[in-house]
Amino acid sequence: MIKEILKNIFSKKRVIPFPEGFNVSPTQVAKIVDFQKKVDTIFGRSLRIRQIDAGSCNACEWECTALTNPIYDIQRFGIDFVASPRHADMLLVTGPVSRQMEFALKRTTIATPEPRLVVACGDCAKDGGIYKGSYAVANGVGNVIPVDAVIPGCPPTPTAIILALSEIIDKVAR
Amino acid sequence: MEKIRKKSVKTWEHLNESYFEVRTDDFKDACRHLYEDLHAILRVMFACDEREKDGLFRIYTVFDLPGIDRFIIVVLPIQESDPSFPSLTQTIPAAHWYEREISDMFGLSAQGHPDKRRLVFHEAFPADSHPLRKDWSMSETDKQEWGDGSTIKVPHPFMEVSGEGIVEIPVGPVHAGIIEPGHFRFSAIGETIFFLEPRLFYTHKGTEKHFETLGFPEGVKLAERVSGTSSFAHGAAYCMAVERMLGLAITEKASAVRTLVLELERIYNHIGDIGNMCAGTALNLGYMKGAVIKEQLMQLNEILTGSRYLRGLNVVGGVTKDVFDQADDILKTLDGATREYKALMELLLGSVSHVERLENTGKLSKDIARKLGVTGVAARASGLTDDLRKSHPHLLYDRLIFEAHTHEKGDVLARMLIRAEETECSLSMIQALLESGYKGDLIVPLRAAPPFASAMGYVETPRGSLIYWVMSDKEGKPLRVKLRSPSYCNWPAVPFAVHGNIVPDFPLCNKSFNLSYSGTDM
Repeated sequence: MIKEILKNIFSKKRVIPFPEGFNVSPTQVAKIVDFQKKVDTIFGRSLRIRQIDAGSCNACEWECTALTNPIYDIQRFGIDFVASPRHADMLLVTGPVSRQMEFALKRTTIATPEPRLVVACGDCAKDGGIYKGSYAVANGVGNVIPVDAVIPGCPPTPTAIILALSEIIDKVAR
Repeated sequence: MEKIRKKSVKTWEHLNESYFEVRTDDFKDACRHLYEDLHAILRVMFACDEREKDGLFRIYTVFDLPGIDRFIIVVLPIQESDPSFPSLTQTIPAAHWYEREISDMFGLSAQGHPDKRRLVFHEAFPADSHPLRKDWSMSETDKQEWGDGSTIKVPHPFMEVSGEGIVEIPVGPVHAGIIEPGHFRFSAIGETIFFLEPRLFYTHKGTEKHFETLGFPEGVKLAERVSGTSSFAHGAAYCMAVERMLGLAITEKASAVRTLVLELERIYNHIGDIGNMCAGTALNLGYMKGAVIKEQLMQLNEILTGSRYLRGLNVVGGVTKDVFDQADDILKTLDGATREYKALMELLLGSVSHVERLENTGKLSKDIARKLGVTGVAARASGLTDDLRKSHPHLLYDRLIFEAHTHEKGDVLARMLIRAEETECSLSMIQALLESGYKGDLIVPLRAAPPFASAMGYVETPRGSLIYWVMSDKEGKPLRVKLRSPSYCNWPAVPFAVHGNIVPDFPLCNKSFNLSYSGTDM
């Protein structure tokens, strides 16, 4: 393991701006550079997200986890996922909101200090998705707590989440 | 077997499923005979509301005999006027969740069950309301109150451990990391966990009922969204059940595609899990390396199917795309991934601090694993040879050479090693699959479903055996879709595995099982 660590210390590689596998077009690249500036200025290089699973199938969660892997490395923008809602600027809610999670979701929202952004992530969070109409779901986050923005996709890919976040922040800036 | 045949009032067969309908008095004895004398495993137990057919509810108890490719299904008819059945839990502990679930969903009570509490529904769900009954409905106010969660309609006390020095630690349902919701109540003595009671079903979405509102072909989409990381396996098992019910035989080509993609799904899950276990021991380098390999494999998934979770490939009757056309992409990615994976394993097994944390942690004994009907990686790590690919060869598994690896120790390390061995096995299986050619169309045309036909579908997912059972109504629409994900069997084993471990090791134990909440809660 020491070999690995030394190799990383002495290698000339610096932070990779757009790593391999980051499937984006040049306009999107420009957007992301702009995005980084906005995170820097508006959120003081620190946008903290609390992810809440309100009945998702776990695919959206894994995409959020993938954001923190070395390929997407969302931390380089100053964005990170936090453990406590009290530390969060943004709630990223996934899932159609199952009835048995509704109460916990409301409580977590109250525990998040204002001003806070609430983002519904995924098709289920948008309007219930495939689960729309089932007796045990609330058909989307918007029916339970006020939502500021929606990220569509089933699940939205990590790239899509980053691009959507950049747009959301753009809206906040204006 | 003859003993059961003699006692049954009606028997029928469908492919490798043998149904034996018995009287209430013989039910317990028939099941006990299968479990104790013939060493059968209880695979799944569920009820079905067949009142529109002959005015009866039926309970299906699916047993799996070791060494034979045959499912023995003991069927118990139940009159609406007497909604109860004898509980099997005292003889077959694996039945304990199934029976509570049947009582929640159908209002058929298990006589003699040691735990009278509800399983699926929390306190705010109204009493005497059973969603899977065909004539069930729920008022808007009840729904509202259920969501608010503030009114206690049926109390659900946690089991309490009292005594000097016992501390209760409640955790969840919203956890610190990016994971699914569930509540854990630890009773600890100092740092040592004495007792753990998980409370799940926070993500209960009424999936089984929702299947009934969709048609059979549309159900695939829902099946793929039951458990994110086993999307393809769920789709494949559902399709298999429907195809078997319709009497459709899919082509060799479609079988080959499904087998190949199932193995791809297994690899990305296993490597991801091995990496995630490093997060439990604070070995961040291993965690990140695992995440990178997983990401590469997920990107391969996207190239192959357009979805990182392999969604949209399965349809009833076959598959939508021939992934063998992209054999070069698969080989190229797997080549790189294999190299990195080998380096990762060398790193992990060479790290004394990592291996030390895994060894003797979260031990699950063979006896408990068998009694609780544990499946998949967890079962094989505890010395049980439980692999549907071997015991019930489906798709092209009978043509492939592979082993059902087992370890005896049942600790976290054993579960990691099983995953590592299976990954290597899957890699060689994919190589073997890509080397030969397969004939046939991708999709065979659908047929209309005959009335009241039923069949099982099963697949070995990365987590273990997954079972679907479908039945059509008189118009050929879904009357019942039962799904039993492997996590459902394995959750009750987690409290036994963590008993005697320290609280900080719980995340590690939990990660070594890597159970799906959504798949369990349905």
